[in-house]
Amino acid sequence: MNLNKHSAETDMEMDMTPMIDVVFLLIIFFMVITDLSQQDLEELEMAVAKNAVPDKPDPKAPPRPILNVKHTGVMILKRNTYFDPEVDKGPKKYQRLRDQLYLIAQQMKKAPIEPGASRMVPDDPLMIRVDASTDFKYVQDIMKECGDTSISIWKLQIGVKVPQENAAKK
Amino acid sequence: MARRKRNILAGIASQSCKLEMTPMIDVTFLLLIFFMCTLKFKTLEGKLSAFLPKDVGVNTSDAIPKEKIEIRMDIRTAGAKVKPKGKGAYTQEDADAKNRFVFDDSRVIRYSIGPKQTTDLAEVERTLKTFFAQDPTRPATIDPREGIVVTDVVDVLDIAMNVGFKDITFVGSYEK
Repeated sequence: MNLNKHSAETDMEMDMTPMIDVVFLLIIFFMVITDLSQQDLEELEMAVAKNAVPDKPDPKAPPRPILNVKHTGVMILKRNTYFDPEVDKGPKKYQRLRDQLYLIAQQMKKAPIEPGASRMVPDDPLMIRVDASTDFKYVQDIMKECGDTSISIWKLQIGVKVPQENAAKK
Repeated sequence: MARRKRNILAGIASQSCKLEMTPMIDVTFLLLIFFMCTLKFKTLEGKLSAFLPKDVGVNTSDAIPKEKIEIRMDIRTAGAKVKPKGKGAYTQEDADAKNRFVFDDSRVIRYSIGPKQTTDLAEVERTLKTFFAQDPTRPATIDPREGIVVTDVVDVLDIAMNVGFKDITFVGSYEK
């Protein structure tokens, strides 16, 4: 009785179709769940606030500027560092950040400073995501730069973490 | 001649034409690995809205300034730096590598609200509730001093918002 029907030299072909199907499905899955809008978000452990409003930006609105502040004080905007306490020193230490905030302010939608006034100020918010262990003086310095008359970004949002129980409710 | 041509064409048509799958599978796997590596799950984050004065430098209004409730925050005991999630002491190597840290339970902050001084956040809430009950329109000012970190300020801000204060401001940087 010949049990070995195929000789060792027989050319056996593997059916690749199901594997390719599965791999394509996986690719589609990862493409769908990867949110490219989160590419501006640095890895930060933010402070927890019970009264925080869940941050759900309008997907139709233009992308909102997000300034990330690491626990070392390093300020990152769109993956570019605009302030590093170890590098930027002296009275003009925030110059790079200021220049960038000025450009951001120019691109923002404008509104009159008060009804009927001719002076226009940016009307879009700037999101500041800060690590919980960051010295608060860095946030104060950002506020100071935003308040500069050439920038006048007055709407700020401070990123915080929503407690688990609140997140579950919302 | 014509018969020879026909024979050649018939030969080509009968040849089994195989699609080379290997490069496609290579690219597909590369894409898969790329998406797996760049994957960041959506996390629900919150925000606290803050508004800066719009009219810096050109303030011509005659508004009567209201007396503010000032919440001053000083470090009483800085506390020891530890690794997050209870992973042990924060070493010099961690500091050199600029790793994250949190403060341990020995950290004590002194909160001064008017003449009242406390180190207890519950007491801060009780005091703010008393002030709020007297005048709900009164603005509150948070004055964080040297060494105060974001989480300390957010704790107080959260309490003030919970009590009902709408007008909360920050004192400028202590650094001159």
